[in-house]
Amino acid sequence: MSSISELYDVSWEEMRDKLRKWREENFRNSEQIVDVGEELINEHASKLGDDIWIIYEQVMIAALDCSRDDLAWSCLQELKRQFPDSHRVKRLAGMRLEALERYEDANKLYDSILQDDPTNTAARKRKISILRAQGKSSEAIRELNEYLEQFVGDQEAWHELSELYINEHDYAKAAFCLEELMMTNPHNHLYCEQYAEVKYTQGGLENLELARKYFAQALKLNNRNMRALFGLYMSASHIAASPKVSAKVKKDNVKYAAWATSQISRAYQMAGRGKKENKCSVKAVEEMLESMQITMS
Amino acid sequence: MGEVELSCLAYAKMYLHASQFPRSSVNGLLLSSSPAGAAVCITDCVPLLHSHLSLAPITQLALTQVDVWCSQTQQRIVGYYQANACVSDSSPTPCALKIAEKIFEQCNNAVLLMIDGEKMFPGCRVPPIVMYERKDARWALKDKHTIMLRQWEETCSIVNQLFSSGDQTLLVDFDSHLDDITKDWTNQKLNAKIMELISPANGNV
Repeated sequence: MSSISELYDVSWEEMRDKLRKWREENFRNSEQIVDVGEELINEHASKLGDDIWIIYEQVMIAALDCSRDDLAWSCLQELKRQFPDSHRVKRLAGMRLEALERYEDANKLYDSILQDDPTNTAARKRKISILRAQGKSSEAIRELNEYLEQFVGDQEAWHELSELYINEHDYAKAAFCLEELMMTNPHNHLYCEQYAEVKYTQGGLENLELARKYFAQALKLNNRNMRALFGLYMSASHIAASPKVSAKVKKDNVKYAAWATSQISRAYQMAGRGKKENKCSVKAVEEMLESMQITMS
Repeated sequence: MGEVELSCLAYAKMYLHASQFPRSSVNGLLLSSSPAGAAVCITDCVPLLHSHLSLAPITQLALTQVDVWCSQTQQRIVGYYQANACVSDSSPTPCALKIAEKIFEQCNNAVLLMIDGEKMFPGCRVPPIVMYERKDARWALKDKHTIMLRQWEETCSIVNQLFSSGDQTLLVDFDSHLDDITKDWTNQKLNAKIMELISPANGNV
């Protein structure tokens, strides 16, 4: 079986840089990380210098994701040898126990970290992840809320909480979490768009109008966000079709929906150009837009 | 109630969809190109989402688009499938029940199919599937003997072949399509590949 460097004609430096990029962007492409990282560690360890430790950590976590306990174990041993008393390494050992579904043992490990250092956020978040893995959503939600009272700026935690609330159909609380995220990340189009989706789901005229505004805001931040474009189209169409709105509001929303329609058509025409296999999905969109136009007027 | 037949094509794509997103819940629609009758023949499926299954806008959008596509291609939506993120829990979620209800309004022998993650490992003898049907105003477990998967062994081998040739990455769900609209959620390319693998064994699946 040929190596990654042979298959893709890359040097070890390029492999190392790729790993760094994936680390910085927090990608969870675990199979790729394992493929590239394992080869880098086995063939080029001596050239990596101090980078090797963070690469061991990255590869170990990816290995757990791919059920490669052999690889995870050997990475962990290297890290334990180099950093014998580290809480960071202890947390990795805990993650391995989680991957093996030995949740009690993992919790004991995390509790021992917290006894030593009660402010260790990583250990606290792992304990919450265990609750999630065990399907104990309400407890996870409760713990996460307590955590956020102390660590109010933890974006990752707010987002995790919004996901938990969405799964539990508690849309009002999910919206609250997304509002926090939008406040601290005003340029992030994804949070705007998710907030709009939650509002749309809650339903009712007021929420639909809010949804439309936030879909529009998401589009302002990223005009290629197709979910926001479709969302704008659908919320404006629903408002225009509602018997409770004034003539002016209806007219405005018909305009917004028409604008969205033209943008959607344009995007699909550009996408469908030259690609035979897209003809089906393009045609479906065209017909859908047409049929919704008729019901609106 | 009536018999349900699940084609190799539908099964393979559902399985691939669940495998592509092991950490998320995924869902999709089950289609039939056969005329309505006592038995339900699931001939194809459309993978829909792998995130925020319980949010309305994208689900509504996807249902509408698939509806349109079905009328263009003489197919009907006859069911819904879902695989939960939590492998040990294969019970239908409120969102699954809601969508299944909607489908039932249009198709009175609609099925709700939950994928059982715990049985998704190589060499498993039993299809990782739990099916529900509408009975007495609720969704009840379907009698296993009324569910047919023709050529189960061949189906398993075809799925394995797809994994070993790397073709499982061809699968596009509606979510991925929205991330990049040049991707085809009707999966014409993958369908062709699967049909190629099926035809030597049996021309009628």
